[in-house]
Amino acid sequence: MVELKVNGAVRQVDAAPETPLLYVLREDLQLNGAKFGCGLGQCGACTVAIDGAPAFSCLLPVGLLAGREITTVEGLGSPDKPGPLQQAFIDEQAAQCGYCIAGMVMRAHTLLARNPSPTDDEILEHMSPNLCRCGAHMRIVAAIRRASSRKEASRSQRGAL
Amino acid sequence: MRPFIYTRADDVSAAVQAAAETSGSAPANAAPVQFIAGGTTILDLMKLDTMRPERLVDINGLQSALGSIQATDKGLRLGALVRMSQAAEDPQIQRDYPVIAQSLQLAASAQLRNMASLGGNVLQRTRCQYFRNTSWPACNKRDPGSGCAALDGVNRKHAVLGVGDKCIAEYPGDFAPALAALGAVVTITGPNGSRAIPFEQLHRGPDQPERETTLAPGELITGFDIPAGPYTRRSLYVKVRDRQSYEFGLATAAVALHLVDGKVEEARIGLGGVAYRPWRSHEAEAALQGKPLDENSAEAAAQAAFAEAAPRRDNAYKVELGRRTLVRALLEAGRMEI
Amino acid sequence: MANAQGPETTGTVAPPLPTPRKTGGIGAATPRVDGRAKVTGAARYGSDFFGGPDPAYAFLATSAIARGRITEIDDSDARALPGVIDILTHRNVGDRVKPGKTFSDKGYMGTSIAPLASDRVWHDGQIVAVVVADSYEAARDAARRLRVSYADETPSASFDSPGTETVSAESKSKEGEKAGQEKPKVGDAPRAFEAAPVKIDQHYETPTQHHNPIELFTTTCAWDGDQLTVWESSQNVYGYQNGLAEQLGLEPSQIRVVSPFIGGAFGSRGSLTQRTALIALASKRIGRPVVLEATRQQGFTIATYRAETRHRIRLGADQSGKLTALIHEGWEVTSRKDEYKVAGTDASTRLYACPNIDSDVSIVHADRNTPGFMRSPPEVPYLFALESAMDELAYAAKIDPVELRRINDTDREPIKGLPYTSRSLMKCFDTAGQAFGWSRRSAQPGSMRDGDWMIGWGCASTMYPTQVGPAAARVTLRPDGAVRVQTAAHDIGTGAYTVIAQTAADRLGVPLDKVHVELGDTALPPAPVAGGSNTTASVCNVVAKACDEIRRKLAAAVTVSGGPLDGADPGRITLINASVMDDQGRMASLKDAVAKTGHGAVEAYAENIPHGAPPTAMQNLYKGQSALAGGAKLKDRIQFAFGAQFVEVRINARTREIRAPRIVGAYAGGTIVNPLTAKSQLMGGQIWGVSSALHEATEIDRRFARYYNDDLAEYLIPVNADITEVQTIFVPEEDHQVNELGIKGLGELGNVGLNAAVANAVFHATGVRIRKLPIRIESVLDAPVPT
Repeated sequence: MVELKVNGAVRQVDAAPETPLLYVLREDLQLNGAKFGCGLGQCGACTVAIDGAPAFSCLLPVGLLAGREITTVEGLGSPDKPGPLQQAFIDEQAAQCGYCIAGMVMRAHTLLARNPSPTDDEILEHMSPNLCRCGAHMRIVAAIRRASSRKEASRSQRGAL
Repeated sequence: MRPFIYTRADDVSAAVQAAAETSGSAPANAAPVQFIAGGTTILDLMKLDTMRPERLVDINGLQSALGSIQATDKGLRLGALVRMSQAAEDPQIQRDYPVIAQSLQLAASAQLRNMASLGGNVLQRTRCQYFRNTSWPACNKRDPGSGCAALDGVNRKHAVLGVGDKCIAEYPGDFAPALAALGAVVTITGPNGSRAIPFEQLHRGPDQPERETTLAPGELITGFDIPAGPYTRRSLYVKVRDRQSYEFGLATAAVALHLVDGKVEEARIGLGGVAYRPWRSHEAEAALQGKPLDENSAEAAAQAAFAEAAPRRDNAYKVELGRRTLVRALLEAGRMEI
Repeated sequence: MANAQGPETTGTVAPPLPTPRKTGGIGAATPRVDGRAKVTGAARYGSDFFGGPDPAYAFLATSAIARGRITEIDDSDARALPGVIDILTHRNVGDRVKPGKTFSDKGYMGTSIAPLASDRVWHDGQIVAVVVADSYEAARDAARRLRVSYADETPSASFDSPGTETVSAESKSKEGEKAGQEKPKVGDAPRAFEAAPVKIDQHYETPTQHHNPIELFTTTCAWDGDQLTVWESSQNVYGYQNGLAEQLGLEPSQIRVVSPFIGGAFGSRGSLTQRTALIALASKRIGRPVVLEATRQQGFTIATYRAETRHRIRLGADQSGKLTALIHEGWEVTSRKDEYKVAGTDASTRLYACPNIDSDVSIVHADRNTPGFMRSPPEVPYLFALESAMDELAYAAKIDPVELRRINDTDREPIKGLPYTSRSLMKCFDTAGQAFGWSRRSAQPGSMRDGDWMIGWGCASTMYPTQVGPAAARVTLRPDGAVRVQTAAHDIGTGAYTVIAQTAADRLGVPLDKVHVELGDTALPPAPVAGGSNTTASVCNVVAKACDEIRRKLAAAVTVSGGPLDGADPGRITLINASVMDDQGRMASLKDAVAKTGHGAVEAYAENIPHGAPPTAMQNLYKGQSALAGGAKLKDRIQFAFGAQFVEVRINARTREIRAPRIVGAYAGGTIVNPLTAKSQLMGGQIWGVSSALHEATEIDRRFARYYNDDLAEYLIPVNADITEVQTIFVPEEDHQVNELGIKGLGELGNVGLNAAVANAVFHATGVRIRKLPIRIESVLDAPVPT
């Protein structure tokens, strides 16, 4: 038995300590937002926040997570009541096929929590480990910009509709 | 992955004891007991079946002993469990040892940087797919004596410096060339006590590719001491890669310069992406000594650095690219305002 | 001009019609209706279904050789592991699973290589066993403990490898012209080329590329008696259903394929792979649902890919740049067993006016897995060659590359002289060129510089056939205005849910949020494969047709004597603002109108057969055959969408990193149902174009005919930091010949030609012409620094 704190709730999970967090989220806790894209930390679809920092849940054994705060995309809002960052992703049309998007949202979440008004370059660099195959890059960055507390115009507005 | 036993250690001696129990004669990198901190290298290699440890000893409990950064006028001490992101974002390191901060900042992804420890990072394994993917039969590093598929295979990313006929795998990391350049000392604790060795002596050459380091099984890296020097502030890291971010370097250069009136009093040069192990180019350093820093001296240093390069079919470009990367790094460092 | 106001508006006129609620209708920039589910983690993809409470997990064992035979499989270690339930190999599968016919052979499969049918190994990474266990970890561990012995033979990897077999694409075509295979030719091209004062004769190459959708190739199967349910992300659920039925010896009605959300496809999920039937069989054998998550590496060999191609292009022109000869020869790699080819000369011979054209395509059989559709399959490689050659011609003739395209523009395709239904190529060039700032370009290669960076600007044409498939849909309208649209189309990220909802909202006069769309399920009426960029055109048109049928039913009901709109002309009844209205502006509520029909709700089922499709198209659609019509295949006309691609590259003068910081494209695609989703498609395509030029290539170890860089750390696609500015511009275009709603497909227009534009920009930056993709540091390392 492993005790995990997920989205503010303490959950008991019957899993070996070496089990990757991603499997526990998806199969034991029915939190399907984090996705399996490679299992090797190469794509970012499984990104969650651990104590506010982005982490690949496919590589993280649950045994390492006792007492740590795990946040998944389900912890930021629901379809009926999306959180502000999620709303920005909706408004900017950032999800295309949408498979990478929960990871993108979580990764952006950890950036904005630490730096509420990142520059475009900071956003681009921060988001780079999460791969999007549809080519929604511009819209994802626009969504993060929208959710940030930045007020000034960005340098590449022309990319947005 | 194969089942394994997972244990936690709460202090260094317990960790070392736990790891020493089943050591035998295997190289440290293939020992049945492995330490795990961030897990960013070992877990993916275990998933690929490339590494098959029987036991993992979680050393995250040693955070208080091995997790601190100390900067004094003697130099910089980095605990082995300092996370890459922590060192990369440290303002004092950014100011006084920019090459260290930049090498970490340009490495991997923020996700991995948040998870990965410095001690684990220097021990990351090569990206050679013939090594990582066990379905390739010939890999001396994985299976001693089986041959090297990369010699005449796909070898665009492989090493040109320090290679042998048994292995041409590249050392992929960014932090280690910076450590090599700055003459860091690595501190180690093992079943037989503690020792300190120059960082340059941590990684072995390709004569026995399966043995990657001089660590004995059960030995644990506890930290790095980077001596202060007049060159550390004028230092930087240049990383050349196919895409803008999130990729291992094709050629990288870690340089540190002490300039007096435009002349090189002392140069420290590390190279990454082009060598079998974290590479310090004493030849390039010597070539610059006492010279005014300009295009010509930088080019001469680059020629010296790659004089012994031994490229294969797809990676021949790395010789010229490595030279240019070094020239660019030297000239940019020369222009730094400190 | 219902809203026109002014002094001349006098006398008795009908009261102004209510302004239609445009938000949500056709043409509205409506945010995607499924965005909410996607960003909150609620959307369920194929890989999110586990088939029941107690699934077993499958892991594939794949071959480590590319050619030979399996001599022994020792599974004793694997079977001894706790949790292992079953192991499928060729010994216990054999002919229990039929190979099936390939897509190009009028079947459903991406390959006819049935992996567990025999001991034969046809390619690297072929499935040699399926291990089923209680957990994923146990299955994986067991798969790795299988000891497979082979009698291996030297494989042929690709072009130039000993043992490959090169055949003409034309002669191998079993159906000839009927299968759409032709060899476009007109005039006497060799002679005209010889005589031309300006000539280009060059060879071009494109690499192997893999789709790498972020969602892996997963399959979940569960049986209920003799009924099978398959959850698998698919671009073609009816094709999968019928293909599986054929493979497993079942009736199609015994199989349901479910795929509500798809984590990227790009062609990789259009044809059925061989894994699905094996998982269905495994599930049947053990009496439990079985979940397969193939690894990223396995995805490179158990599905399809874009094969490497070679081209020779000969262009002849007069001094003014007018083409007098165009000869395009192509060579494509395929597997030993199948005849997959893209034969993009269909398109490349129809882009420009030219009196003398010749073409030829050959396929090269090697010991490889069978390639397949990947976003704009023919156009990406074939237009790379043609549009690179056009740029070379522009320099040879000393003509601006945009002007060269203008000189050779045409309104009739040059092979048969058929008229384009619409062609806005030069409008696109002018619009995009202006946005890009093309007029500020200095023509001399190497003449533009910004500090340490050499700058190059390049452009190219894009084209993509407008294809429409047969489709069916059922639409239900309830008295409260709630609409349900059902069709087994697929939203592969394109926005199909959204544009279909918009079409129904528009036609039925209800707000968008009253429309519920169900897709991706063989329990629904069939729609074609989500391929060839046909979905919006095919499905929106049939949904509109079903909606019109509902309108007719309501109109008939309300206009009867004593009805609420008694006496009105049923043909002039419209649905608007959740009401029924006649041409006098009289309104009846939907509730009353539906009640008047005598039913609780009004439902319509519609089928649509597009222009050029055979009368049997609907029957075939129910059998999973999409029969797309259009492009260059019509007898009376030709229909393509066009666009112009511009790109700026920056190359470090010393270390030669190549970046593409600015991408600008203008596209004409007929009616744009939703500018937001359409733009996402095109923008994604533009990024694919740059990726195809600078990043993507699957490396092959030619000694073993095996893929080397089979993961996402080594197979490069652009990251966020690579993409800094993308402009995507629509050029207005009306074309009601292509279909009633005037929709041309866009999903595959954005990436075509951009690879050539990048190569052309690299030439402009450096003076070095790179004719082989991808273009990387080493391609330009030796280029002299322009002074």
